[in-house]
Amino acid sequence: MEVNLTINKKPITLNLKGNETLLEVLRDHLSLTGTKTACQETECGTCTVMINGKATLSCITLAANVQGEEITSIEGLAQGDVLHPVQQAFIEYGSVQCGFCIPGMIMSSVALLEKNPTPTQEEIEYALDGNICRCAGYPKIFEAVREAGKKMKNGPNTKI
Amino acid sequence: MLLNPLTLHLPKTRLEAARLYKELEDSKVLAGGTFLLNSMKLLKTKGTKTARNVLSLAKVEDLKGVTFQGDTLTIKAMTRINDLLASPLPDGHLKILHTVCKNISTNPIRNMATVGGNLTCRYTWTEMGAVMIALDAKMHFLGPDGKEDIIAPEDFFKNAARSEKLFTHVTIKTQGVARTAYRRVKKTVHVDIPLLAICVKTEIKDKKWYNTRIGINNGSAFAQRDPVLEEFLNKSSSSPDLGKEALNHLTNTIYDTRSSDYKQHMFRVSLKSAIEEISQKGTL
Repeated sequence: MEVNLTINKKPITLNLKGNETLLEVLRDHLSLTGTKTACQETECGTCTVMINGKATLSCITLAANVQGEEITSIEGLAQGDVLHPVQQAFIEYGSVQCGFCIPGMIMSSVALLEKNPTPTQEEIEYALDGNICRCAGYPKIFEAVREAGKKMKNGPNTKI
Repeated sequence: MLLNPLTLHLPKTRLEAARLYKELEDSKVLAGGTFLLNSMKLLKTKGTKTARNVLSLAKVEDLKGVTFQGDTLTIKAMTRINDLLASPLPDGHLKILHTVCKNISTNPIRNMATVGGNLTCRYTWTEMGAVMIALDAKMHFLGPDGKEDIIAPEDFFKNAARSEKLFTHVTIKTQGVARTAYRRVKKTVHVDIPLLAICVKTEIKDKKWYNTRIGINNGSAFAQRDPVLEEFLNKSSSSPDLGKEALNHLTNTIYDTRSSDYKQHMFRVSLKSAIEEISQKGTL
């Protein structure tokens, strides 16, 4: 079947069988391997992307089912060489240990901060409750989210 | 591939969806996908056959949204849990729905999972069944001929959550003086599926309880009412000891009496505190 998707603001037409998950399409058909695959059963959050601005698990999303929706993967956040404030903050605050969970963490964080750039600690934990960090690097991740929110609220030239 | 070959059907209207629901053989309905696709992937890993046809409701716009008109709240089947959480609800006891939604699983799951999926997926541990029973909701089903059936949730679950028609929405009437309390206990710290869920709704006048409805989800069976406890509470008045006394008036079979001591304990603690919560408000 012909499937029309909009991924990172680009329209893409694919010929799919219908049983492909969005995760498989991103990684295997489009080589967008920033979205990670791990548990594949909704527990870990590494496969998180944004659909219409909401954090969504690509491992349980049928690609053909999200035609007409706005899909954003981790590759769609940076503007050329300029990282998204959340990506930049994760680097500056040393939030990355093994790094495997980070694309999913960042997607959930961006989805949160685009709605609420000044979240409380409780709101950050609630928004990221579907993303597991096996290195247990949560304090630095939360710190980066908080600081990135300040930058997103105050504009791109704000120092963090 | 994570899933076996399938044919995806994407109807655009409720009636088209209801017809396909009736016509398609070897089929499953895809709402949010958090139950269905997970189980289909799991079955594939075990080498088990899965449904050949998947009927997706994603493009049926008329199955999405929350409205409040007159005294009736309508929640359509494809309303995501987080969308219900973000929807304004009328003042009063229906706000308990926000508490229920807030406590379901994790954020990305709440962004995907739907109210309809939670009610009709035929997993016995889902949360919404007990809540809809307690709130005296009505479940609406659409047939291929356009005719609608309206069924009380306790009857739907007595029939093991099976239906010949497509579930389209749920309606709940507001009741000005009703009070509610909700308890949900996780199975384990790491597995966020409920061990049990309890919803208590009552009306109180001069401290006396009436029109009480208790929705119980014990995880092993589909959600059900506790008639013995309801009868006791309907003869009772709010008092500091009401929660404790209520524990002597349970339909014991509902509380999964063959389960672990921990689960039995959590049932009693949760029921007692839910009744006390309402009772304390009822003495004000």
